[in-house]
Amino acid sequence: MGSYLIRRLARTLLVMLGISLVVFVFVRSIPGDPAVAMLGERATPEAAAALREQLGLNKPWFFNPANPLDAQYPKYMTALLSGDLGTGLKSNIPVLDDLKARFPATAELSVAALLVALLIGMPAGILAALRRNSIWDNLATTISLVGVSMPVFWLGLLLSYFFGVKLGILPPSGRLGTEFDIAPITGFNVLDALLRGQPAAAWDAVRHLILPAIALGSIPLAIVARITRSAMLDVLNQDYVRTARAKGLADRTVTMKHALRNALLPVVTVIGLQAGALLGGAVLTETIFSWPGLGSWVYDAISQRDYPIIQGGVIFAALVVSVVNLLVDLSYASLDPRIQYS
Amino acid sequence: MTTTTVPQSTPKQDSIFWRRFRRSTPGKVGAVIVLAFVLLAVFASVLKPYDPRNEPNRYSLRLKPPSVTALWNEEAKQTYTDPVSGKVNVLAAPFGTDNLGRDILTRVLHGTRISLKVGVVSTILALVIGSLLGVLAGYFGGWLDSVLGYVTDVMLAFPGILLAIGFASIFSADNPPLLIAGMDRLFALNSPQLVTAMLAVSLVQIPVYLRLARGVVLSVREREFVAAAGALGASQGRMVFRHVLPNSLSPLIVQGALSIATATIEVAALGFLGIGAQPPLPEWGTMISDSRQYYLDAPWTMIFPGLAIFLTVLGFNLLGDGLRDVLDPRSTQ
Repeated sequence: MGSYLIRRLARTLLVMLGISLVVFVFVRSIPGDPAVAMLGERATPEAAAALREQLGLNKPWFFNPANPLDAQYPKYMTALLSGDLGTGLKSNIPVLDDLKARFPATAELSVAALLVALLIGMPAGILAALRRNSIWDNLATTISLVGVSMPVFWLGLLLSYFFGVKLGILPPSGRLGTEFDIAPITGFNVLDALLRGQPAAAWDAVRHLILPAIALGSIPLAIVARITRSAMLDVLNQDYVRTARAKGLADRTVTMKHALRNALLPVVTVIGLQAGALLGGAVLTETIFSWPGLGSWVYDAISQRDYPIIQGGVIFAALVVSVVNLLVDLSYASLDPRIQYS
Repeated sequence: MTTTTVPQSTPKQDSIFWRRFRRSTPGKVGAVIVLAFVLLAVFASVLKPYDPRNEPNRYSLRLKPPSVTALWNEEAKQTYTDPVSGKVNVLAAPFGTDNLGRDILTRVLHGTRISLKVGVVSTILALVIGSLLGVLAGYFGGWLDSVLGYVTDVMLAFPGILLAIGFASIFSADNPPLLIAGMDRLFALNSPQLVTAMLAVSLVQIPVYLRLARGVVLSVREREFVAAAGALGASQGRMVFRHVLPNSLSPLIVQGALSIATATIEVAALGFLGIGAQPPLPEWGTMISDSRQYYLDAPWTMIFPGLAIFLTVLGFNLLGDGLRDVLDPRSTQ
């Protein structure tokens, strides 16, 4: 276990190094001059040149023959390692501060989306496997097929239009009504409102969460339902399940204790793999629902060529994905004792 | 991992393929949907002639509801009544009109061409490049495998759409590189930005095929017939391309059908974000993006292009499931 852990950690670190390199090169290859973007189209060439100099954008990318450390990449890496992600070109706010302020919104939305996926997807998958080829099975299969085939941005617009505008039963966009103000503790509005004893605000936050969470959760829901069904079918056909039934255990016990626990492994893997998809889907969902999270932030930054924000946001997203993948890998052993790391 | 052989062109195996395929309901439904969209794409110009670059001004018809509503809605009835003959034409604009008075059905129909082309081409590119790299990595192993494995790990750590956005924003300049301009001409897409989006989506899929092909090759490589070919003195190239690759194709084909679905959604998503196809090109995602200013009063501008994306994607997903039933029966539950 020890040496596996070290190798797995080393690989994660190497991947993160690769991520930083890719983002560095990508961001600097986006056409257009960030200095001009900052100063506006009518900036004089001299002013733009001075600003480039000030931002260090006139230095070579990787290697400066005169002074090896006086290049953009070494400076960028040193800053990155000390947690300095630079400053937003337009806003002049440190990227890390923006990131800290916006991440909870995306995290809250992603958790809500995962909850939607698990609370609907897992029971649907279990039911489909237990009543194979019944109407429930067909229904679950159809829902999961529709879920993966539905473009997130279209689903988001449809939900916002029908439930938000036409029926008016849920807010069509935003994160919290303007009449409420929640002082952050965890950054999750629903939790914070409850902790601060503001049930009305908590309820409003939940209402704002529902539509974007359904939109963002649609694909994970479909995948969770599908994987749960096939994993359950697989497990239910195994000898030990038959043995458990043969010794007279109740159906419910067999399903919940013997089968489900062993069917969880692929489900956990898939949930882990959804981390990237959720962060990607957040770009679309947040843009549609004006959700003040990382996705809409990075999207705006791309259209404004705000290098430091794109850099910080994308690196952070990739970092989250790598860490989640690591945790998923490590959680295998506790879920399936047959797996040993060597 | 699967070891099923791909249907060769011998009559006997062909009939096995079709017999199994006919038994797969999702496969049949998917094939019908996909075929319908292919036919619509091919005959789009015959059904509804249209040139997005040369459009007549029809401002009097801005944002009108689907013409069927003329049957019960007085206002729509007036819109779709021919001033000369006085007849109501309920088929004038079955999906309604957009903010420039254009018929949405016509644009959705012509969008079929774009989406199918882009979805298929980006998938084929990813499939060919990814599988080739995966076969090489799996067959030769060693440093090549390590390097490719590392690059794959790094690429898969990025949320796909972010990687695609990044790639698309690098090459979306006014002067497209030669490769992109060339592909634009080759596939007659008339939009360098769309080609960039297509390549971006393709790039994101490459690691998926690389991993898949590598895994399959690792299992096929150990089988007796490959060892036999080696013992008979077959060269490395012959072993890879004549013996290992053809026997590794089934899962790649299944993944291919499913990837066309993903690619269609992702290209539309890039169009929706304003990075892919640009107006006036009738690309479905771009149409939905256009509709964002109007859909509160004219929801049909958003509903129909989205429905087209949904049905196309559904078709390819069903087809992929069907192909899996046929080519890879053991993985189906």
